[in-house]
Amino acid sequence: MTAAPWLARKRTREAALAVCFLLPALSIFFLYRILPLGWNIWLSFHSWSPLKAAQFVGLENYQEMLLDDEVFWESLGNSLIFIGCSPVAIAAALGIALLVNSDLKGAAVYRTIVFLSYPLMTVAVGIIWRWLYDERAGLFNYVLRSAGVIDQPLPFLQSYDFALLCIIAADFWQVLGFYMIILLTGLQSIPIHLYEAARVDGVPTVARFLRITLPLLRPSLFICIVVGILNSFTSFDLIYVMTNGGPGHATELLITHIYKSGFGQTRFDYAAALTVVQFLLLVALTWIANRLAGGNAGALER
Amino acid sequence: MKRSPAWPRHLAMVAVCFLMLVPFYWVIKTSLTGENIYAYPPRIIPVEPHLFNYVDVWYLIPFARYFLNSLIVTSMAICGNLLFNTAAAYALTKDFPGRRWLVLLFLSCMLIPFQATIIPAYLITSWLGVLNTQLGIALPLLSTIICIFVFKASFEAVPKSLIDAARIDGLGEWRIVTRIMLPLSKPAIATNVILSFIWSWNAFLWPLIVTRTPEMQTLPLGLARFMSVLENTTGSLHAFVVLVLLPGVTIFLMAQKEFIRGLTSGAIKG
Repeated sequence: MTAAPWLARKRTREAALAVCFLLPALSIFFLYRILPLGWNIWLSFHSWSPLKAAQFVGLENYQEMLLDDEVFWESLGNSLIFIGCSPVAIAAALGIALLVNSDLKGAAVYRTIVFLSYPLMTVAVGIIWRWLYDERAGLFNYVLRSAGVIDQPLPFLQSYDFALLCIIAADFWQVLGFYMIILLTGLQSIPIHLYEAARVDGVPTVARFLRITLPLLRPSLFICIVVGILNSFTSFDLIYVMTNGGPGHATELLITHIYKSGFGQTRFDYAAALTVVQFLLLVALTWIANRLAGGNAGALER
Repeated sequence: MKRSPAWPRHLAMVAVCFLMLVPFYWVIKTSLTGENIYAYPPRIIPVEPHLFNYVDVWYLIPFARYFLNSLIVTSMAICGNLLFNTAAAYALTKDFPGRRWLVLLFLSCMLIPFQATIIPAYLITSWLGVLNTQLGIALPLLSTIICIFVFKASFEAVPKSLIDAARIDGLGEWRIVTRIMLPLSKPAIATNVILSFIWSWNAFLWPLIVTRTPEMQTLPLGLARFMSVLENTTGSLHAFVVLVLLPGVTIFLMAQKEFIRGLTSGAIKG
């Protein structure tokens, strides 16, 4: 077949059209994703502020971060605690998903109620939980005092020991429904005949769960773990409202540290260096989680 | 098949639901309480519940202003998402050189969390001259990668013969999108609208950075401001919380299916 000129013209026309259609979306992603990523890296190697010309300083920002910035290490530690706690929420969500997945009457209602907290505005969630934790008249103190567990009210969000765990609990309350929905989708994609075959072979329930459910749920679990990791670095709204990083820096995360250095102290260059480290950590952790989940974890994302 | 009785499972789920609903109840209860909310012991059921606190919200803060700003930003985000995502998704269903490369680019953009871009994003917005405007808040929210892929999957399911027939009838590309693709993609449209609504309605960090004056602030910022500036012992802050949550909860309850489909098809916020 000869390539007729009209065919070639049609192809260029199609390509031009595709470019025009893609341009608006692409320019937004370029302006607010790709360009910032590069700009961050550039800024992190410079000393710069809006009133001062940029000066190349090499690794100085990073040096300060790693050697002199205790808040950086504290917020990393807090993120690690956050990540360490997330299996609790995922396990709870898995339990709920298993309960709701069965042919239980009213399962849809239960599902809706558990999921209801996820689409809420996180700032409002922070205010609600702050109030639950309140020292004077909060529900938790009231329940604990009425039950005789404590004599004096606990200042949950003002205590170095509890503040971070309190925020993690609030985060779990919000994200539990999301984990449940993801795991439920995973459970429903497991072919029923596998269970039937196992039942015919007389495999006990626990073994069915360990040998069929868990391995086939890996992609969904991977998504939950990645979201848990993301939350542990980026739960800005909750922390801003509930403790603003305090007491001291007991609930500081990298994102609040970045916000404070960038927009509180106008140290954009240093904040950019923090951002680069945060981004690299996120990519590395996601990659590790992906490896642990067996490599084919993107499968469910379609 | 051996059946275990259903009641233990019901019992477990009722307990879980109870725990999930307690915070909702507590904030609604507080918003209806008439006396000093710091009184101890707190009452489980409000005595003489009334709506004074809801009226107070109007007088204590420029609620209407916040609401209007939120509405403007959210409408811009929804319109932008529908328009740009549709166009981009339609282009991605076409066969042109570099298409695979572009899809890869979109997928890797999804890996960049918005929180990791705030410093340059602020500088870019300032350079564009839209700091402290509703457009500045909405700009990064105007297109979402997940939603592009939701549309793409939906468009790819449209039979090719239908498109060819339309083209023979002389329809232009944009008309093919609006007359054939979109009417056949109602679930994808719903998913787009709901996801972009929830994300822009709830957005906090970005509006916090971009806005400087209360006249430009959205509801979440108003909420945080109310909390930190006004120390009051009535339940009006909690009435504000309830008012702010109502639209989101209502829309979610109305379109739960589309919302969940959007989340599970994209899984991770882009």
